[in-house]
Parts: sequence; structure tokens; C-alpha cells
Amino acid sequence: MEKMFNHVVSLSALVVVLVSGCAFNLADVKYSPTQFQSMTKDGRAFTLSMNVKLTDTPCWYGRELRQNTRWEYSGSVAQGEVFRSRDQILTLECSNIYEAYLVVREGRVMGFFLPVQQGFVGLPEPVVLPVKP
Amino acid sequence: MKALRLFMGCALALSLSACASGMKFTEMKPSLSPTTQEMGRIFFYRPVTLGAALQPDILVNGKKVGDSVAWGFFHIDRIPGNYEVVTSTEVERKVSFVLEKGQTRYIRFSVNMGFFAGHVYGDLVDQATALPELEDCKYAGQAQGEK
Repeated sequence: MEKMFNHVVSLSALVVVLVSGCAFNLADVKYSPTQFQSMTKDGRAFTLSMNVKLTDTPCWYGRELRQNTRWEYSGSVAQGEVFRSRDQILTLECSNIYEAYLVVREGRVMGFFLPVQQGFVGLPEPVVLPVKP
Repeated sequence: MKALRLFMGCALALSLSACASGMKFTEMKPSLSPTTQEMGRIFFYRPVTLGAALQPDILVNGKKVGDSVAWGFFHIDRIPGNYEVVTSTEVERKVSFVLEKGQTRYIRFSVNMGFFAGHVYGDLVDQATALPELEDCKYAGQAQGEK
């Protein structure tokens, strides 16, 4: 009887491990749909004066914006102005990987714009951008 | 002990035979730009030996363009637009990005271990990262459906 009980416990543990594995694989970046207004000829841009770590990103896959990367204005969404860089690729990641642009308002990163999904992913706390004068 | 050696030998032979065997990137020197400026170019490469026996299909917007082969690379030209690259092993992994006119994007495949088998997944990397890694890769053959 005790042997049987041990088998059931072992089997249950295995099922829990497998199911939790599946759940992790299905984790996805949560975004809200947003309307993007493209404006590529604005000419505004900024260059980062130091590295910026972004840690409150989806699924805890942190990102770092590199020092000296230049970010160009490319349009806007309701949550802020959208900037992208040709010096650095920015992505968000859970089980899948999404190209992302920065959404900035009053010198702070508010979140990310996903150009393929036309979605916005917010940061819990805006992050100040150190820019070169 | 003898059995273990035999097993290790077979595993090594299998891994090496599963690697790309075409011309080296540095010898082939493929153009990094698309054939016309109206198109964009996407490079696919996999600079790891781990999981070499796994060679999943690479799907671009749902259509197979080739296989992900260890130490292999190939490229395709596509019209500008939104693209989704998918590899399917134990789980399906997607990477989505925008391709613009005259632009070149690089998709690097990596392998990590799953419960029953390895997963092959793509990541969007910049040219500064891709070019040094591509140097040791070999041509994995013309992409499927390309002329």
C-alpha cells in the first residue's frame, strides 16, 4: 500500500513539473493595442550619455540601452513619442521575441511600442533617460 | 567504459555530420545588401554545435524557407513589411520584426534544453553582433522557394 502511495506521489510530482514547464513555454508579452502616428521627417533625436538598464520588462528579461546610441523620433502613440535606433536593436522577450521601439514622454521611458503588433507595453515605473546635451 | 567511448564517438560523429558543410561565409563573401533597394534582406544563422541533430524548419510568415542547421547560414530577400520567423521543435518560438527597403536583418538561432528535447529559437540581432559570428558559419544552401 505504501509502495502504491509512493508511486502516486512520484507520478503527481512529474505531472506538476511537466505542466509547469508547459505554462512557462506559453508565457507571452502582454500588450495593449495602440494607434501609431508615423512622423519620420521630424528630425528630432537624442543620444544616450550612459548605459540605461531596464529591468521591469516582461518575463524579467532585462534590457540595456547602450551609451552613445542615437534614438530618432519616428512617430507617436497615445502613451508618448516613439523613438527607434539604428545603433541598437531593442526587443522584448517571453516565449516569443518582439522588435520594440522606445516610448518616451518628458525625458522618461514610459514603455515600448511593438511595431508589428501595433501594441504598447508599459513600464511599471518610468525610467529617466540620460541624454547628451 | 568501452560502450561509453563508443557512444561518445557516435554522438560526436552525429553532431559533426549534422553541421552545415557548404562554403565558409568569409570565403563566399555574400552581399550584405538586398539585390534591389526595393527589397530587404534577412540572414539566418546558427553559430552553435549544441543540439546539432535538431534541424527544425524555418518558417517566414508561415512559409518554409529552409532548415536551421548548426554552423549554417543562408539569406532571403523580401519586400518591406512585417515578418514573423518561427521554428518549431518541442515548442514553437517566434520572432517578429519590421523589414524596410534596403535594410538587412539578422536572425541568430540558439539552442536550449527542454524537457524532452532541445529548443531551437531565433533572436533578432544587430549587424555588429552578427558579422563576427557569421564568420565561422558555412552556407547551408539556397533558401527554399528562392531563385
